[in-house]
Amino acid sequence: MEAFVLPKAELGGFVAKLKANYEVFGPVAKGTEFVFGAVAAAEDLRLDYDTTILPPKKYFHRPVETLFTFNGPVEIAGEGEKVAGKQLLFGVHPCDVNALLSLDKVFLNTYPDPYYKARRENTVIIGVNCVAPCENGFCSSFNTGPAMDTGFDLALTDIGDKYVVEVGSAQGKDLVAGLAAASEADLVARNKALRACQQKITRQIDAENLGELLHQNVEHPKWEELKEECLACGTCTTVCPTCFCFGVKDYVDLSLKAGERPRTWDSCMFYEFSRVALDHVFRPGRAARIKQRIFHKLTYFNQQFEGSPGCVGCGRCVSTCIKAIDPVEIVAAIQENPNPPEEVKLYTPPAKKVTPETSPWAPQKAVIKAIKQQTKDTTTYTFAFADPKVQEAYTYDPGVFNEISIFGIGEAPISISSCADVKDSFDHTIRAVGNVTNALAKLQVGDIVGIRGPYGVGWPVEEMKGKNVLLVAGGIGLAPLRPVIKYIQARRDQYGDFEILYGARTPNDMLFTGEFEEWRKIPNTRLYLTVDIVPPGVEWGHNIGVVTTLFDKMASRPENTIMVTCGPEIMMKFVVRGLLARGFSPEQIYVSLERRMSCGIKKCGNCQIGPVFVCQDGPVFKYADIKDLPEEIF
Amino acid sequence: MAKPKIAVFKFSSCAGCQLSILNIEDHLLDVLGAVDVAYFVMAKRENHEGPYDIGFVEGAVTSPKELLELKKIREECKILVAMGACACTGGLPSIKNFAGTQREMEEKVYTELWDLKSIPAYGIDHYVKVDAYLRGCAVDVGEMVELIKSALLGVNPHFRPHSVCNECKLKENVCLLVNKGKPCMGSVTAAGCGALCPSLNRPCEGCRGPANDANAASLAQTFAVDLGLSRDDVRRKFLKYAGNTPEFKKGAEAV
Ligand SMILES: Cc1cc2nc3c(=O)[nH]c(=O)nc-3n(C[C@H](O)[C@H](O)[C@H](O)COP(=O)(O)OP(=O)(O)OC[C@H]3O[C@@H](n4cnc5c(N)ncnc54)[C@H](O)[C@@H]3O)c2cc1C
Ligand code: SF4
Ligand code: SF4
Ligand code: SF4
Ligand code: SF4
Ligand code: FES
Repeated sequence: MEAFVLPKAELGGFVAKLKANYEVFGPVAKGTEFVFGAVAAAEDLRLDYDTTILPPKKYFHRPVETLFTFNGPVEIAGEGEKVAGKQLLFGVHPCDVNALLSLDKVFLNTYPDPYYKARRENTVIIGVNCVAPCENGFCSSFNTGPAMDTGFDLALTDIGDKYVVEVGSAQGKDLVAGLAAASEADLVARNKALRACQQKITRQIDAENLGELLHQNVEHPKWEELKEECLACGTCTTVCPTCFCFGVKDYVDLSLKAGERPRTWDSCMFYEFSRVALDHVFRPGRAARIKQRIFHKLTYFNQQFEGSPGCVGCGRCVSTCIKAIDPVEIVAAIQENPNPPEEVKLYTPPAKKVTPETSPWAPQKAVIKAIKQQTKDTTTYTFAFADPKVQEAYTYDPGVFNEISIFGIGEAPISISSCADVKDSFDHTIRAVGNVTNALAKLQVGDIVGIRGPYGVGWPVEEMKGKNVLLVAGGIGLAPLRPVIKYIQARRDQYGDFEILYGARTPNDMLFTGEFEEWRKIPNTRLYLTVDIVPPGVEWGHNIGVVTTLFDKMASRPENTIMVTCGPEIMMKFVVRGLLARGFSPEQIYVSLERRMSCGIKKCGNCQIGPVFVCQDGPVFKYADIKDLPEEIF
Repeated sequence: MAKPKIAVFKFSSCAGCQLSILNIEDHLLDVLGAVDVAYFVMAKRENHEGPYDIGFVEGAVTSPKELLELKKIREECKILVAMGACACTGGLPSIKNFAGTQREMEEKVYTELWDLKSIPAYGIDHYVKVDAYLRGCAVDVGEMVELIKSALLGVNPHFRPHSVCNECKLKENVCLLVNKGKPCMGSVTAAGCGALCPSLNRPCEGCRGPANDANAASLAQTFAVDLGLSRDDVRRKFLKYAGNTPEFKKGAEAV
C-alpha cells in the first residue's frame, strides 16, 4: 500500500486545503465527550478522541430522513435530500469504518437505498488508526480494529510528531499530493504503534463458534439476570454504528394533504418495535428483546448479510448503558457456564437478486376498479396500475405481498389475493383494523392508492407440481391462499388430489363464499368448511369446531403431499402440530408468517424473527427451515 | 366537513397546559382555522355548550363535584383527551396520595375542614374512558398539534412512545447520569418532549410518566447504589408525577 507522511505541524494546512473542496466533519469536543460535527477550524479536530456519542453512521443513515414529500393521498411532490456536494469525514476510527462496510450490506444489497447510496458515493473517508485502546472497545475480537485495512480513502496513524498516511483509493491518492513518501522507518514506527495498541486491548470476545454458542444458550440464566437489569431505554442500539432499524410514518401539515414520509431510527429494544394493529406485540418480553439485540449483533447480522460483523466492538453500548450491560461480559458469563453443546444448524437466508436502481420507496399509482364486500370488516379490491405500461410489466407469484399507501395516513403490507394469471388487474382482500386499512375501507371505485411491490417469497407452486396439495386456511388467511387455489384450478392436470380446509369464527366471517361452488367443481378437489361458533338464527350445514377438527374428515395423507397454511399464528401452530402427529414431515409443511413491516425490503428490521426477515426471506417459509429458530415461532 | 368543535376543561391543576395551547404561536392561526374552539374559558369570553368533537381535560380530579363534571364531559365529547401529567397520571396533585391518609393531608393544609370533600388524585382514566393522552408537565405543543391533525384525519396518533434517553441520544447530549452522576429519569420515562430537560442540562423528572415496559426498579437501584441517593429521595423521584402508575410505584418501592 502506498504511504506518505503528514507532519503534525502541517495538519492545519492539510485540513484547510480539504475544507476548500469539501464540507469537512470530524470528531470535536462536546463537554466531556466527543461528537462528529462540522470542523470549523483544524484546531477543533480532536484526533485524540476515544469515541463519539453517535457514530459517523449518522451522515449516511440519518436519524430522521425524508423518503419523499407528498401533496394529496397519492401525489409525490419530491424526493428526500441526497447531499448536494461532496462531504469528507476526517478521523474515523477503524471500528466505525468497518461498521459502515457492514451497513453497506443492508442499504446497498437487494433494493439499494438511493439516499444512503448517494451519501456513500459522495463521502470521502479519512480514517485514523488507533494507537491507544479506548476504554470499552473490543474491536480486535472481530478484526475491526485497532487498524483498518479497507473502507477508507486515506488512513492516518499517529507515530509521534507525524502521521503515516496510507492511500486506500484513487480519490485518496489525489488528496496526498505534495506529501512526502513514508520512509521505511516511518512504516516500522507505524507497525510498532499499532501492534503496541493491539497488545493493550484486553477486552475480548472469543468469536470462534459464537453463533453456535449463542444458539445453544437461548435459554440461559444470564438472560433472566439481564432482564432485571436492563432499563429498556434503547440507548445501546441508538448509539450502535451497525444498528440500522427504523420506523416509517407520515406527517401532514394542517392542510391535512401535503406532508412527508420520513424514516426515523427505531430499535428492537423498544416494546413498540414489534407492535401491530389491534395492539398485538410480537416481542413483548424484555428478555426476548435483549436477546434479539445481543444475538443480532453477535450472530444474526453475520448470518443475514454474508459474513459481515454485526458488532465491530466499538464499545459505545457499554459506555453509554446506565447499567453498563456489556456484550463481552455476557459472552464470558455464558462461556463460563454454557448449556451442554448440541448440534445447531444456523439459518441461511435464500439468495436475493439485486433489483434495478429505482427508488424503492416511491409507490406507483393504482386505481380501484372494483370493490366487493366480503364480510362486515373485510373487502376485496381489484386494482390496476394507472400507468398501463406498469400494469403490463407487473407479474407476481402466488403468496407475495404489496405495500399499499395512502399518503398522510401510512402504508400497510397486504398479500395479493388474485390469481397470478390475470394480467390486467390484481386483487387485495383487506380487513379494516387500523389507520391504513380503515382509510382504505372508505375508498370507492375510481379512487387511487399508492402501491409498491410485489415483495417476498410466495407459495411453492412449482415444487407442488405432481403432488397432492392440502391447503389449510383460517380467517383472513384465506386471502393469500386464494392465488394457490386459482393457480391449481388453471393447471389442474399438473397437480394431484387437492383438499381445501377453511375455518372462520362464524359463518358471517367467511371470505369468498361466492366462489365456494366454483372451487368444489375443480376436478379432484374437496372443500371442507368449519366455524368456531354459530350465532343464533344463522344457518350452517357444515362442521363446527376449530380448523384442526377437519383433519379427521380429510383424505390427505403424508405421502406425496405438500401442505400450505395461513391464518392466525395460534391456528397455524395447532395445524402444524396436528399434521406432524399424522406423519407429515417439516419438509412438507409451508406456513405464511406475519410481522410488523415498515419497508418490505429488508431495511427497517421490524419484521425480523431471529435471523429471518419475514418480508424478503418469506412471508412463506418451509416449516423445516424455521422450526428451530432461536425465537420460537411454533 | 364542518370544523370540529373543540373544548378545553380544567380540574385541579396549575393551568399551565391550557397556557401551552395559547403558546402554539407558530400553529395557532392555522389550528384556529381548522377547528372551532367552542369552550375554552381561559381563552375566550363566549363559550358554548356541548356536544363537542374533541374535549381536552386538564388537571386531576380531586373532589366528588369534579368527578360528576368529568362524567358529564365524557358524555359530551366524542374524543376525550387527557391533557398533561395531572390528567394523565394524577401529576403533582397525586403526591398527596402518598403522604398519609386523605384526612391527614386535609388537616395539614386546611384549618376549616367541615366543608371539605376531597378525594385522592388520579388520572382521569381512573374514572372515565380516555381516547388519547397528551403527556407531560406541561404538554408538548408539537404533540398537541399532531393529535389535532390525527383527529381531523380520523387516525390514531402515533406518538413515539420510546424512552427520553432515545431522544436525548439523538441530540448527542452528554449523558447527565452516566457522565455527570445526576439522577436523570430519562431511561424509564416516555419520550415526546424531545428530551427537553436533559438538553438544558437538567435531569429528566419523569413528568411524562413511564415508557412502555419501563424498568423503574432497576433505575431506582442505580440511584441508590451508584449515585448514593437516600431511600426517601428515590421514593420522591418516582412519586412526583406518576406514582399512581404500577411502573413508577415499583421504582418507589424498590429500595
Ligand atoms: C406479509 C403480510 C401480508 C398481509 N396480508 C394481509 C391481507 O391480505 N389482508 C389483510 O387484511 N391484512 C394483511 N396483513 C395485515 C396488515 O398488514 C395489517 O392489518 C395492516 O398493516 C394494519 O395496518 P393499519 O395501518 O391499518 O393498522 P395500524 O394499527 O394503524 O398500524 C400500525 C403499524 O403496525 C403495522 N402493522 C399493523 N398490523 C400489522 C400486521 N399484521 N403485520 C405487519 N404490520 C402491521 C403497520 O404497518 C403500522 O406500522 C398482512 C401482513 C403481512 C405482514
Ligand atoms: S442501554 Fe443498557 S439499559 Fe438501556 S436498553 Fe440497552 S442494555 Fe438496556
Ligand atoms: S454492539 Fe456495542 S460494541 Fe458492538 S458495534 Fe454496537 S455499540 Fe459497538
Ligand atoms: S434488530 Fe439489530 S440492528 Fe435493529 S435495533 Fe436491534 S440490534 Fe440494532
Ligand atoms: S441524560 Fe438522562 S435522558 Fe439523557 S441519555 Fe442520560 S439518562 Fe437518558
Ligand atoms: S425489514 Fe422492513 S419489513 Fe422486513
